[in-house]
Amino acid sequence: MNSPLAHPALFHLGPVPITNGVVVTWAIMAVLVIGAQRATRHLSLHPGRLQAALELIVETVDSQIRETMRVEPGPYRGFIGTLFAFIFIANWSTLIPGVEPPTAHLETDAALALLVFLAVIYYGVQAGGLRGYLGSFATPTPLMIPLNFIESLTRTFSLLVRLFGNVMSGVFVVGIVLSLAGLLVPIPLMALDLLTGAVQAYIFATLAMVFIASAVSESRDTTEPQQPRTPS
Amino acid sequence: MQIDWTTLAIQAINIAILIWLLGRFFWRPVSEMIAQRRMLAAQTLADAEAKRQQADASLAEIARTRAGFAQERSAMLDAAQTDAAALLEAKREETRQLVQSMLAQAHAAQETYRADAEAGWESNARDLAVSIAARLAARLSGEAVQEVFLSWLVAAIRALPEATRVAVASAETAVDVISAAQLSPEATAEATRHIAAAFGGAIRLNFRVDAALIAGLELSAPHLVLRNSWQADLAQIAAGLTHAS
Repeated sequence: MNSPLAHPALFHLGPVPITNGVVVTWAIMAVLVIGAQRATRHLSLHPGRLQAALELIVETVDSQIRETMRVEPGPYRGFIGTLFAFIFIANWSTLIPGVEPPTAHLETDAALALLVFLAVIYYGVQAGGLRGYLGSFATPTPLMIPLNFIESLTRTFSLLVRLFGNVMSGVFVVGIVLSLAGLLVPIPLMALDLLTGAVQAYIFATLAMVFIASAVSESRDTTEPQQPRTPS
Repeated sequence: MQIDWTTLAIQAINIAILIWLLGRFFWRPVSEMIAQRRMLAAQTLADAEAKRQQADASLAEIARTRAGFAQERSAMLDAAQTDAAALLEAKREETRQLVQSMLAQAHAAQETYRADAEAGWESNARDLAVSIAARLAARLSGEAVQEVFLSWLVAAIRALPEATRVAVASAETAVDVISAAQLSPEATAEATRHIAAAFGGAIRLNFRVDAALIAGLELSAPHLVLRNSWQADLAQIAAGLTHAS
C-alpha cells in the first residue's frame, strides 16, 4: 500500500509535475464552472426549480456570512462560497471509484489555507487600509505584536492541518479497511467520511469567515476614532 | 513528509481561478437576479400601494360624486316640485278665469234668453190681446157700428186742411172707400153723400172690400190715407203696448 502522503506526478507539463490532486482539481473546476455557466444561462425574474435551487444556495451562503461576519455578504460571497463548494465537492469526490480527493493532499489544503491567509490580509487592508491592518497587530498593546503575528500564522496552519488531517485520515482508514476486509465493509466508514467531509467544508468556510471578519473589524477599530463613553 | 511547492502553487492558482470564475458565472449573476427580483417585488408592492391609494382616492371621489348626485337630485326634485306648484297654480288660475268667463257667458246667454223669452211672451200676449179684441170687435159689426165709423171718417175728413180736401176732391183718380164687408146700396149712397159733403163737393168714389179691417170705413187716395177701422185701432193699441213694454 502506498503512503497517502506520497503523491507521485502523473505527467509533466514541461518542468512542472502534474499530480493526481491537480488533475482532480481541474476536473472539479471544469464541472463547477461549466455547470454554473449552463445553470445561470437562462436566469429570469420568474424562476424555475433549478434557479430556485441556485438562489437557495446563494441565500444560504449570504445568511451564513451575515450571521457570522455581521456584514453585508456582497464582497465575501464569492470567496467564501467557492471555498465551501470546492472543499465540499472535493471531499465528496471520493464517492467516484478511483478518485482520490484533492483535499487529501497536503498541497491542496495548504493552497486553501494560503488563500485564506491572503484573503484576511486583503480584506483587512481594504477595510482599514495598510496602516489600520498593521495596527490591528498592536492591539490591545504593541507588546502583543509578536503574538498576534504568530497567531495569524498558526491559525492559518491550523486550517491546513485540520482539513488535511480529517480528509486524509478518512481516506487512509477506508484504504486500510478495504485492504483488510471485504468489498462492502468500508461502506459505513465511507458514509462517515462523507459526513466528515461536509462538516469539514463547513468548518473551513466558517473559520475563514471568522478570520476575515476579525481582521476587518480590528482594522476598522484601529482606524476609526474612539467614541467618548457617556455615562448611562 | 514533504510539501511539493510547485503543486501548492498550482493548486493555489487553480483555486484562485475557480474563485474568480464562479464569482463571474455563478455568484454574481444569481445574486444580481435575486436583487432584481427583490427590487421588482418592492416596486410591485410600491405600485400596488400607489394603486391602492389611487383606488382609495377614486373611491372617495366616487363617494363625493354620489353625494353630489344625491344633492343635485334633491335640488332637481325641489325645483320640479316648485315648478309643478307654480304650473298647478297657473292652471288653477287659468281654469278659474275660464270658468268665470264661461259663467259670465252663461249668465249673458241666460239673460239674453230670458229677455228674448220675455219679449216673446209679451209679443204673444199682445197678439193674444189683439186677437181677443179683434174677435170681440168682430161681434160688434153692424149697421150702427158702420154709421159710427162713417161719422168718424167724415169728422176726420173735415179735420183735414182745406187744401188737402180740395186736392183730393179735384184729383182725376177715384178715391177708394174700403169697408170690412160689402155695403148695401143704401149704405153706399149714404156714405157717398156724407163723404162728398165733407170734401165740399162732388167726388168720385170707388168702394171695395177688405175683410182685414174687421169693422170700419177707410179712405185711400194717391196722397192720402185715412185709417178708420178696428184693424187700425188694434194696430195702434199693439204699437202702444210694444212701446210701453
